[in-house]
Amino acid sequence: MENTHTDKNFEQKLKQLQDDLIKMSEIVEKQIEIAVNVIKTKDSQDAQLTQNLDEQVDVAERDVRDLSFEIMTLHRPVASDLRLVFTALKVSKELERMGDHSRNLAKRAISISSSFDDELIEQMYSLGRNVQSMVNQVLDSFFKKDELKAKTSWNQDAEIDKEYKSLLKNLIERMHNKETSVVDEGTKPILIAKSLERIGDHATNIAEEVIFNITGHYIDLKKSDFE
Amino acid sequence: MVEQVNSFAIKTKNVSVHYGNKMAIDDVTINFTKNDVTSLIGPSGCGKSTFLRCLNRMNDVIDSCKVQGEFLLNGVTDIYGDSIQVETLREKIGMVFQKPNPFPKSIFENVAYGPKIHGLASTQSELNDIVMDSLNRAGLYEEVKDRMDDIATGLSGGQQQRLCIARAIAIRPEIILMDEPCSALDPIATARIEELINELKENYTIIIVTHSMSQASRISQRTAFFHLGKLIEHGDTSKIFTKPDKEQTNDYITGRFG
Ligand SMILES: Nc1ncnc2c1ncn2[C@@H]1O[C@H](COP(=O)(O)OP(=O)(O)O)[C@@H](O)[C@H]1O
Ligand SMILES: [Mg+2]
Repeated sequence: MENTHTDKNFEQKLKQLQDDLIKMSEIVEKQIEIAVNVIKTKDSQDAQLTQNLDEQVDVAERDVRDLSFEIMTLHRPVASDLRLVFTALKVSKELERMGDHSRNLAKRAISISSSFDDELIEQMYSLGRNVQSMVNQVLDSFFKKDELKAKTSWNQDAEIDKEYKSLLKNLIERMHNKETSVVDEGTKPILIAKSLERIGDHATNIAEEVIFNITGHYIDLKKSDFE
Repeated sequence: MVEQVNSFAIKTKNVSVHYGNKMAIDDVTINFTKNDVTSLIGPSGCGKSTFLRCLNRMNDVIDSCKVQGEFLLNGVTDIYGDSIQVETLREKIGMVFQKPNPFPKSIFENVAYGPKIHGLASTQSELNDIVMDSLNRAGLYEEVKDRMDDIATGLSGGQQQRLCIARAIAIRPEIILMDEPCSALDPIATARIEELINELKENYTIIIVTHSMSQASRISQRTAFFHLGKLIEHGDTSKIFTKPDKEQTNDYITGRFG
């Protein structure tokens, strides 16, 4: 465990900031889990729940932002403390965006008709589960300051992109073949897949922030280095 | 690449200092880049002042103090060697102390004293020029030009400290050592000195001991962190204050118990 600050008030606020972020991540993780389930269940109450949780996420983001400003103004953090505040601000922004995407995809998922191609639903669901696992992993790496885990989850994004592209290809092919159940839904499935892919991107951004928080450097953006 | 002998104002190697049997500096090696401000930071009693005073042999007068190691001025002159006299050395390496210490003489005399004894002016008008120029560089001239004959101890604390800087500059040093020069000053006077330090680095190499982290981060390009007589870390100030290499440095600058 790290040494504690001589300034107890400052110590307390930094702890609060981490607690706020943990709380915020828990809400977003739950939101994503529910949204991904809705792809299969089409449960409209669950979809509504992602909407309600989104309001909590917005409040949580504001709390993180206000506390970060307070810490910067009153305590002028440096070194590891400064990196934590900086990371908190950026991570909370990414989480907030993830929340928006989960809410949107849940809303679209319930409007897809039950006659829609099962295989495609399965494919979206699987993409969703993988995104969810990536998000859990990256947040875990943040709170445990686990650089290796952050890098592993950062690499997972390439897999998610591949899965997303193959899903799109599948969708488009079926539209070309004029499969009615697919054509009738229009762009909805594409937008759902896109939301999932975007959540993965935000998780990647968090992984980069986590690595910065730990090492003080941003990861080399050339993915090939890690593949 | 050929090593640039001239890029360092002072090079030191394996410096140890004892007061009697007590070790105050423990095997420190550090080089000071020309025209940089370097801050020496660390908890009180860690040896910052002791180390600073070694650089222009101010420790010579303390009988119990034994200094070991290598000290090179401009990469060639042995600071403790026979090729340079202590007086000449102190011409090249000036010093400003924690408490402003003007002589109980006129403002003019305070600045003129150094150049006079070092024979830097051959005529009165040359001496006047040096005094004016030094006060100007120290950012004090405008405030005192109409009362050059007033006694210096009548100036405010901040003005007195700038006078001491003018006095140091008057003997045309290459390097200025400062030991907590702002610790007796209010925030406005401190800001004035910090601004001055920033201007002075164009022409001088400055090594400053400060107990203020924020001052170190504001004014210096390089920072050296000392702990219990050892140099723990030395590097670019921006790096030290964002991502120091050593846990100990991080703990100290973030205000954690070490
Ligand atoms: N003149 C002296 N005689 C004996 N011990 C001294 C003397 N000056 C300093 N010391 C000791 O050397 C150590 C370093 O002191 P100093 O260089 O003044 O530290 P700092 O400037 O970092 O506060 C301290 O333990 C101090 O008590
Ligand atoms: Mg001291």
